[in-house]
Amino acid sequence: MRTALLALVALSVAIGGGAASVWYALQAQEGIGAVTIGRWTTYPELGTPDANPYLRARVARDGLLALGRTEGLSFVSERDTRGRLIQRRCRYTIRGTLPPARLWTVHAADTGMAPISSAGRLGNSLNSQNVLYDDANSVAIAVGRNPAPGNWLPVSGDGRMLLVLTLYDTPLSGAGGMNGVRLPEIINDGCDA
Amino acid sequence: MTAAMRSQLKKRSLWKGLAYALLLGLVGAGIVHIVILLLIPSFSERNAWGRLADVADLETMVRIDTSAAGPPLISGTDPAFLSAACRFDLSDGILHVQAPGHVPFWSASVYDRGGSNLFSLTDRSGPAGLLDVVVLTPEQMIDVRADLPQEFSQSVFLELPMSEGIIVVRAFAPDASWRPALEDFFRRSSCKLV
Repeated sequence: MRTALLALVALSVAIGGGAASVWYALQAQEGIGAVTIGRWTTYPELGTPDANPYLRARVARDGLLALGRTEGLSFVSERDTRGRLIQRRCRYTIRGTLPPARLWTVHAADTGMAPISSAGRLGNSLNSQNVLYDDANSVAIAVGRNPAPGNWLPVSGDGRMLLVLTLYDTPLSGAGGMNGVRLPEIINDGCDA
Repeated sequence: MTAAMRSQLKKRSLWKGLAYALLLGLVGAGIVHIVILLLIPSFSERNAWGRLADVADLETMVRIDTSAAGPPLISGTDPAFLSAACRFDLSDGILHVQAPGHVPFWSASVYDRGGSNLFSLTDRSGPAGLLDVVVLTPEQMIDVRADLPQEFSQSVFLELPMSEGIIVVRAFAPDASWRPALEDFFRRSSCKLV
């Protein structure tokens, strides 16, 4: 009786712990194989034949068709520059210069990576061809639910969100391309109550 | 031996057994972790191939971006892009993918059945910036090289080590006014075996 009980304990720890740890490893934003620049994270090997088993499992489970090396590189951020989780009810400014790329886009997504649409007439994405640059060739993009002057990336709803910055046709995706690269900061400008 | 001593001994062996069971469980958890991780790619039916197979036949271009009707077929697509995917099987021929007309930026990727990106190119990769790609196996390449058909004279050739795969074409929409032109770009694009 006691042996059976102990075997049951061992078995449930093994199956429960094993399954839970896989689930945790696959949903973590900064998993194995991640490259982090500031608060932005990318997986250069995601969806390539060199990918580690965690990235392979993620590609299969989420049905991803990741960008190829020649196409570009996608960075995701779930935290602002001070390290707090990005919330839809807060206002942010994405500020800084962007690394060399033929074009770039930025959009907001929910935690499942689905783009957040907004009811407004403006699109839910900004890109290198429709933003205003300042004299130093850097950009300042306001992110929030309420309209802002200059570049505004509208979002809607409540809860957490991710910011996605994608560089297309960029030398960053080549070998050693990410050394010394800086990406824009995500500055929190306050939150609505 | 007194009754008190005996009960203490019994208690100690119970704790020992529990610790042993937990340790065994942790080792087992490590094994289960690795096994599940390695089995996910082969048992996942909701991978990109499976999702595309639900909506379209082989050698059919199907839109996968967020602006297409319904929820996006493939997650994580850029809302500033329109994109389409086409599953193919090279056992009955070679694949010819074409899209007429110029757009601000396009890129294309070839994936294996499991979703690994094997080859990607952009509009700067081919002559004249037109999308004209031929996907074939090394054996088929030998035949094609011996006698290059006229229709492939401007094509980019991609040799793949397997017969099944997915090709995805993405086109950039700088703003909403470009969408009709890009939708036309995808409507006129073709993905067929020859």
